[in-house]
Amino acid sequence: MARASSSTSHAGSAVLGKGASIRGRIAGEGDLRVDGTISGDVALKGDLIVSDGAEVVADVQARAVVVEGAIEGDISATSSVAIRASARVSGAISGTSISIEEGANVSGRIDAQFDLPPELGGKSGR
Amino acid sequence: MASTVIAQGMTIEGELTSDEDVVIQGTLRGKLTSKDTVNVESGAVVEADISASSLSVGGQITGNVTASDRVDLMAGGRLIGDVKASRLTIADGASFKGNVDMDV
Amino acid sequence: MADVTVVGQGMFLRGSIRGEGDLEIRGRIEGDVEVAGEVTIGDGALIKADVTARRITVRGAVAGNLTGEEGVRLEDGARVVGDVRGASIGIAEGALLRGNVQTGHGAEGQKGRARTGAAAKPAVRAEPRKAPAVAVTAARGNGAPRRAAAAEPVERAGPPPPVVPALKKGARAALRKRSR
Repeated sequence: MARASSSTSHAGSAVLGKGASIRGRIAGEGDLRVDGTISGDVALKGDLIVSDGAEVVADVQARAVVVEGAIEGDISATSSVAIRASARVSGAISGTSISIEEGANVSGRIDAQFDLPPELGGKSGR
Repeated sequence: MASTVIAQGMTIEGELTSDEDVVIQGTLRGKLTSKDTVNVESGAVVEADISASSLSVGGQITGNVTASDRVDLMAGGRLIGDVKASRLTIADGASFKGNVDMDV
Repeated sequence: MADVTVVGQGMFLRGSIRGEGDLEIRGRIEGDVEVAGEVTIGDGALIKADVTARRITVRGAVAGNLTGEEGVRLEDGARVVGDVRGASIGIAEGALLRGNVQTGHGAEGQKGRARTGAAAKPAVRAEPRKAPAVAVTAARGNGAPRRAAAAEPVERAGPPPPVVPALKKGARAALRKRSR
């Protein structure tokens, strides 16, 4: 079983290799790229990349999130979320900016913070 | 080039309000108010009261029509309803049944 | 030759639009839109309506559900509050959405749960904290095979299972004795 590095002082970059699998809670200061499988919870200060072929069954929190593989769980990003065409996502997605490429398989909820124009019941225009 | 075009094959039901010109080639049911011109083209079917600056009727209208300027009923056009306009022309070959009030 | 219906910028419709052909909306609509062709919602448009079409492209503001059989695309500048369903869904950076998203044909109302096809983990997240229902139900003559919901739920955030499977009490001792 591989272990994601969770260094304290310097924010490193970790990779969970293709054949590797983690079950449990992952927390880290740095970035994480997942090529393998995670089942649990992920909370990163850095960015998260879920590669094509990776499987994540977990709620994830990170700065920016890029999904090319499969995530089943809620995604909470403090920065952007990019769902690529090869992704399979199921869960709630929130971030400052969310983009989904055509071809992605998405089933869930997106909650961006904004107001509709007043004619449509919003508080203000933009 | 009209600002609003209701193409053939499209049906609009409800109240339309426009401050630009409107061309109807499809079907309209309800009420249309335009500050500008309205063209009901051949093939169009309108079941609505229409209020416009000017109106040209090449299609079929069942409803009352009010124009601040003029109403032109073209050959092949058909209007069943009352007309209120300061100017009115009815072409040879047009059909019309209703009252006319030109005292605007 | 207008096959495209255009709702101009200065137009306000309270009612419904239905029919064949394509539709371009630049003005304001309160009601209901259902057309067979493509719908383009311009950047100044204000739509308070559910929109159903073969394909939908949004650049303006929509309060309502969007259902595009072949696809829905929200471009930069789009503001949508409502559910989006379509065979494929594209959301550009700068497009803002608040609602449920469901890709796939026929978009079965599996709100929030993708059927992860290939890797087929019978992954049903919300339910599986309880012990899996024993599949006694099969015996009740209910012909239809029970769905994955009754099968092993995926365990999350639990302690990793012991490397050695738990043996019955004394079994380990018995094994050790045998191997001596």
